[in-house]
Amino acid sequence: MSTCDFIRPARKPLTENEVPVVRLVGVTKRFGKVVANNNINLDLYPGRIKALLGENGAGKSTMMSMLAGRYKPDEGHIEIDGKVMDFSSSKEAINAGIGMVYQHFMLVESMTVAQNVLLGQTGGFFINPKEMEKRVGELAGRFGLDVAPGARVCDLSMGEKQRVEILKLLYRDSRILIFDEPTAVLTPEETIRLFEALWKMAEQGKSIVFISHKLEEVLALADDIAILRRGVIEGEVDPDCVESKADLACRMVGKEVILEIDRAPMESGKPVLEVRNLSGMGLNEVDFEVRQGEIVALVGVAGNGQKPLVESICGLRKPPRDTIVIGGKPWRRFFAESTWKRSLSYIPEDRLGLATLRECDMVDNILLTTRKGFAIGPWLDKKRASTETVGLVEKFDIRPGRIQALAWQLSGGNLQKAVLARELYREPVLIVAEQPTQGLDISATEEVWKRLLEVRAMAGILLVTGDLNEALQLADRIAVIYNGRILGMLPTSDKATPDKIGPLMAGIVEEAAV
Amino acid sequence: MLELIVPLLNATVQSGTPILYATLGEMMTEKGGVLNLGVEGIMSFSALAAFVTTFTTGSATLGFLAGGCAGLFLAFIHGFVCISCLGNQVVSGLALTILGLGLTRFLGTPYIGLPCEGFEKAAFPILSSIPVMGDILFKQDALVYVSYVVPVLFWFFFKRTSLGMAMESVGEYPAAAAAAGLKPILLRYSAVLGGGFLIGLGGAYLSLAYTHLWTNGLSGGRGWIAVALVIFAFWRPGRAVVGAYLFGGVMAFQLRLQASGTNIPSSILLALPYALTIIALVFSACRRKHSDMPAALGTNIEPEG
Amino acid sequence: MLTGFKLRKRDEPWKWGALVIFLGALLISLLISAFLLEGQGKSAIDGLFILWDGSFGHVWALEGALLKAVPIFLCSLGVAISFRMQIWNIGAEGQFALGAIGATWMALSFPHLHWTLLMPLMFIMAFLLGGLWAGIPAALKLKLKVNEIISTLMLNYIAILLLDYLVFGIWKDPSSYGFPMTPKFSENARILGMFGSSVHWGVALCVAVGAAFWAFMRYTRLGYELKASGQGPRVAKYAGMPYGFLVMFVMCMSGGLAGWAGCVEVAGTTGRLEPSLMVGYGYTAIVVAWLARLEPLNIAFASFLLAALRVGVENLQLELQIPAAFGEIMEGMILLSVLAGQFFLTYKLERRKLSD
Repeated sequence: MSTCDFIRPARKPLTENEVPVVRLVGVTKRFGKVVANNNINLDLYPGRIKALLGENGAGKSTMMSMLAGRYKPDEGHIEIDGKVMDFSSSKEAINAGIGMVYQHFMLVESMTVAQNVLLGQTGGFFINPKEMEKRVGELAGRFGLDVAPGARVCDLSMGEKQRVEILKLLYRDSRILIFDEPTAVLTPEETIRLFEALWKMAEQGKSIVFISHKLEEVLALADDIAILRRGVIEGEVDPDCVESKADLACRMVGKEVILEIDRAPMESGKPVLEVRNLSGMGLNEVDFEVRQGEIVALVGVAGNGQKPLVESICGLRKPPRDTIVIGGKPWRRFFAESTWKRSLSYIPEDRLGLATLRECDMVDNILLTTRKGFAIGPWLDKKRASTETVGLVEKFDIRPGRIQALAWQLSGGNLQKAVLARELYREPVLIVAEQPTQGLDISATEEVWKRLLEVRAMAGILLVTGDLNEALQLADRIAVIYNGRILGMLPTSDKATPDKIGPLMAGIVEEAAV
Repeated sequence: MLELIVPLLNATVQSGTPILYATLGEMMTEKGGVLNLGVEGIMSFSALAAFVTTFTTGSATLGFLAGGCAGLFLAFIHGFVCISCLGNQVVSGLALTILGLGLTRFLGTPYIGLPCEGFEKAAFPILSSIPVMGDILFKQDALVYVSYVVPVLFWFFFKRTSLGMAMESVGEYPAAAAAAGLKPILLRYSAVLGGGFLIGLGGAYLSLAYTHLWTNGLSGGRGWIAVALVIFAFWRPGRAVVGAYLFGGVMAFQLRLQASGTNIPSSILLALPYALTIIALVFSACRRKHSDMPAALGTNIEPEG
Repeated sequence: MLTGFKLRKRDEPWKWGALVIFLGALLISLLISAFLLEGQGKSAIDGLFILWDGSFGHVWALEGALLKAVPIFLCSLGVAISFRMQIWNIGAEGQFALGAIGATWMALSFPHLHWTLLMPLMFIMAFLLGGLWAGIPAALKLKLKVNEIISTLMLNYIAILLLDYLVFGIWKDPSSYGFPMTPKFSENARILGMFGSSVHWGVALCVAVGAAFWAFMRYTRLGYELKASGQGPRVAKYAGMPYGFLVMFVMCMSGGLAGWAGCVEVAGTTGRLEPSLMVGYGYTAIVVAWLARLEPLNIAFASFLLAALRVGVENLQLELQIPAAFGEIMEGMILLSVLAGQFFLTYKLERRKLSD
């Protein structure tokens, strides 16, 4: 992110005689046939920030879960202060001084901040809420982590929730703090505050692990960088010696990656989606349109109104009257008359829970949204559905290639290809794609991108994404959403656009022109 | 007028008490994240256990505890199936009801019609002399007096003790509890067992203080009413008290009306509590937003690794 | 956990797992029942032999089991379709009662109608009332989010009391010496034995309904939509399915089938409405549905098996004076052990390697 402009303390070089506080020695972890971590060796030093760089699925989270006592290594061992540890529960890891901030916060939403911080740490049998809040308040004050100890967690923002997680670790006097993709849910503004807090903690001698796949952040923050690829430590680099981001990216993914894709210009046609002054459900006067032949990206920090907007466009929620027009028809009429073909396709973020039927085979999953095309009166033409499925499996190269495969047996990439195959089979006029490449490897991502660009010929696409690079690569225009409001609609052809997105995502509107 | 209402309210408290015990028991179970639909079976089985114990030993207190332990035993089966074996909580609870009712009728047949000492009404010193209130609340049996303290302890347990807080956290988000170094499986077991014990006490009340006599079908749907009351009470003990006495009132009223020789058919009177249960659920559905329903209720904890 | 072993999630479904677990569960339940018999001072070996003999040992036993399997099968099919949609319809017992009431109403109102007219009328009314009884909780669930487990269950109690009210009151047979029962149905309202045997035509009805159900789920669009929306309302909405309609449809079908079970019972077995009609088929149906993993063909086998168990227990009651509740205990235990055993469908124990 180019908006990460801040002063960082000078990097300390690693001296010879420093002793690692944590060592992973030859650690291997398998899940079934998949080797998630293979012979990992890694040292962590006090007072230093170690970034662990790797793609989704490279095995970062597995590795850290072992350190946090959630999983047991199949081979190898973990040493803390030179002693071999064999954690059989999170509790033991916590007692050994290891704390972790998970990607999905481990917070009890209905409880207060103080209760969450003290959960499992209360000491005595009886508890006193006032006293607990006082203690947590003091701790928060000491580290400058601004959050009300008596507030219920469900009322907090993402940034505040993260501070609660950090408070939990600090309360436990953790010496090793692990952060799993901590910036994914933060605005650029909040990211900077997090980084400052991290440096502060490192200064006090804490050893910090920062897991990320964002190169810029890693380069800006870390003292050392370890690159993890396909479960193997690919190498450790000094951030000052990194020649270019491209070089780092190369080592991360293992091949010369095209982080860019050719986007041929396309004539845009009639509007296929018009959102007019949509308010309510956490949205505020949202107003934009998508034309056939163009991709409009909706970017923003998660939880700023993307969900209600997408769900009301896609018919999962009812919007107020006369606010959404799809393919020239008002929302109600569109869904009342909706046909399976030449209509709206929704590619949701939740592939296994919403877009596919877990326990059903490929044919049934292809039928999910196309069934009307195979209906003969009240009957379903299963035979033709099977033939078509075979065709789609071949065309989109969906592994393992059998149509009897159940949805839960497919890998993330293949599942997404199956969803894409089905939705494109419907020849939609409007596609709403939500985080379409989240969790996919590079080749699957490329495949999805290519398909989305191709399909512009017949459809308009609303791309909801948290990945700015994806938005900049694919979209013609980028809409930035903050707090239920679209703060700006920026054309990607404008060179200044990338720099404008960051502030807008944080809700900072500078020009009156927006 | 007062001569009519005071005995009715006195009977209300008495018939509300077993429901109160059972509701709090189910509430505890659910706060730990486990739905136990076996309440009906547990109540009836523990009523038998309590009866048989008192009948053979002559000690009512021992019988009361035996009821609790019988509840513990059946709740453990449910816990084992759901917590350790990841069985479907709805179906396991139903199976438990079938098993519990079956066991009760199978083992209880020789005792049908036999009386037992149990708990007699005894005026509470000093407090029973308060006019009206004393007559309603403090001329009861010992188990009723115990039941006055239980909701307060229940509240105290969940709001003021670390074990209660930990138990609530596994009902809300077991992964968070695990990450905080707690043992979710153990905590869920303790919620299920603790709840089962309370439900068992409710069952014991039926045979030891309510009827003093063994018959089949003693629980008569009270277990199911307790399950409904947990929803009605929004998982809060204070509202559970209100709900339990509301149903106690309807049952007492219905019995009195029957005894008075009204010409309303008895089947319609008997159906009142069941119809009221549905109405109570409709009523609470309208204000669902205020409920404290545990977020992970009914979902099992999958093992890792 | 066990030392020396570790848990591992299965990559492929365990093909014969369901059957192995079922047989295992049966074995465990029989063992515990044997203990219970010993505890009652009866010989467990004798008891189990009599149970087997009474269930499968004679033609009359098999015929009895087949007859009892009819209502269980119909109720269970209804329960299964609602369970598939994750709608917990526990109300088969009440819907069964309403079906019986509906059929009786027609049989008592038009005793002289020719059977070709009266029979359809009885079945239609049974279906309507059973469906209505299930439709109430469905509507409450959809409109007010009222928990259907509780509402269907409460309606069971109310339905049984309604049945009592009718047979103790307005429908009571004046010549029954005060016993609560309706007069005997006319010949036109009776389902007769097939080919002169004691097994009535209800069995043929089951075969037809089962086949229709199977074909419906497999080959029709509505059947597919029911299966798909079993993943929940959000998936249904995602795929553009009318979730509310599907829930209503499933519940009414489910209630209607239970209603038919009630109709077959009054018209085929008892020939009159009486309180002893309610022997818990509706609850057994839930056990059957789950044991059969909600598959129609399995339901047929499972309902026959549990019906045979009921007949066997009746025999046990006659010969050894064992209370009939013995059957309920077995049902409960089989179901609980199957639920516990299903753990091994998703997980397997593996021996730890020495190096670990």
